[in-house]
Amino acid sequence: MKIHRQFPAAPSPDSRGRAAAFALSAAVMLIPANLLPVLSMDLPGELRTDTIFSGIVALCDQGLWPLALIVFTASFLVPVLKLGGLGWLLFATRRPVGEGALGLTKLYVTLDFIGRWSMLDVFLVAFLSGTVRFGALATVRPQPGIVAFAAAVVFTMLATDAFDPRAIWSSHSQSTEEITA
Amino acid sequence: MSAPPAAVSFPPQSCPVCGLVNRLPRLQPGECARCHRCETTLAVGPRSGRHSASAFTLTGLLLAGPAVALPFVTVSKFQSAHESYLFSGAHALWDSGMNVLAVWVGLCGLAVPLLLLGTLAALLVVSEPGVDRPAANFLLRIARAFEQWAMPEVQMLAVLVAFAKLGSLVHVQPGPGLWCYAAMALCTLVAWRNFELCHAPQIPAAESAGLLEHE
Repeated sequence: MKIHRQFPAAPSPDSRGRAAAFALSAAVMLIPANLLPVLSMDLPGELRTDTIFSGIVALCDQGLWPLALIVFTASFLVPVLKLGGLGWLLFATRRPVGEGALGLTKLYVTLDFIGRWSMLDVFLVAFLSGTVRFGALATVRPQPGIVAFAAAVVFTMLATDAFDPRAIWSSHSQSTEEITA
Repeated sequence: MSAPPAAVSFPPQSCPVCGLVNRLPRLQPGECARCHRCETTLAVGPRSGRHSASAFTLTGLLLAGPAVALPFVTVSKFQSAHESYLFSGAHALWDSGMNVLAVWVGLCGLAVPLLLLGTLAALLVVSEPGVDRPAANFLLRIARAFEQWAMPEVQMLAVLVAFAKLGSLVHVQPGPGLWCYAAMALCTLVAWRNFELCHAPQIPAAESAGLLEHE
């Protein structure tokens, strides 16, 4: 279980606003994150710079399809899905939610779980930069795009953190329930 | 030595997702209690005693030292070889002027997981299942805040991806630091999951009494 914030006694009306602000910041940061290079490789007679997307294409070109899929999911799909999901949650909870509350809750739990995995690309660039240091033979250097990408990941995590999922259930009766194992 | 698992009963507690106050039954080992309304898992009957969570926590803390001090990987190209350490990546980011990102990578990769393990160790000392203790509740909130930003498993996946990516460029040999870090990441995950669902002091429903005002 990944949901563990200690919210105040009642859902705060500001929680949606804060979540929207963080989500918007993440969306803005995703633009330079995808346009700017995230790392460069100095190889003999070649200087290669990679954006997130060209890095994925390079993995495909090397025939490393499973890895390309992992990086594509963590670095591209998860941030986009997370922002889309957050947008949907914020839109759906602008009015009391009826029948769809359980589905929205599951969406929130999923978004909360997947967010951290986008940090994969940040750790990958850090590891490569610290490991491949052979001067003119082979050197990997981080590039500014990775800072923007890390900021986007942190903002999406803060957005999920700021959203109070009890807002989904605010129109439902609140009573103590006995449950069985 | 693990204490034999026993059925555990919890006081009424608020669901951390939807806020519904649930009265949980006594849970037998392996049984799972879910929120009546949103189906979030609230607690699991422990299959093992608290000592197993303590063992994983202590092992994780002990492994952190060698994970930092021993070579993480050895990389070679032609006749040249060098060793890199756990913090080499953060160091490279720092050298490139990305100071905040370097600190962030160091925090999420090692410092916060260690803080989580440390808090967990303190929790295991002061908490008792089903007993409401302010100190334990306070520590539990700190641990939950740390848990969100502790990402050793994500760093491990990144290292595995990097190994495959580097295959054609340089020769990479895993070092003892990497194995210690991998084991530390595993211990952190297992200790936290075990503690959170099976042995954590539950936040008492009384602290969420405001929710009942909506009845």
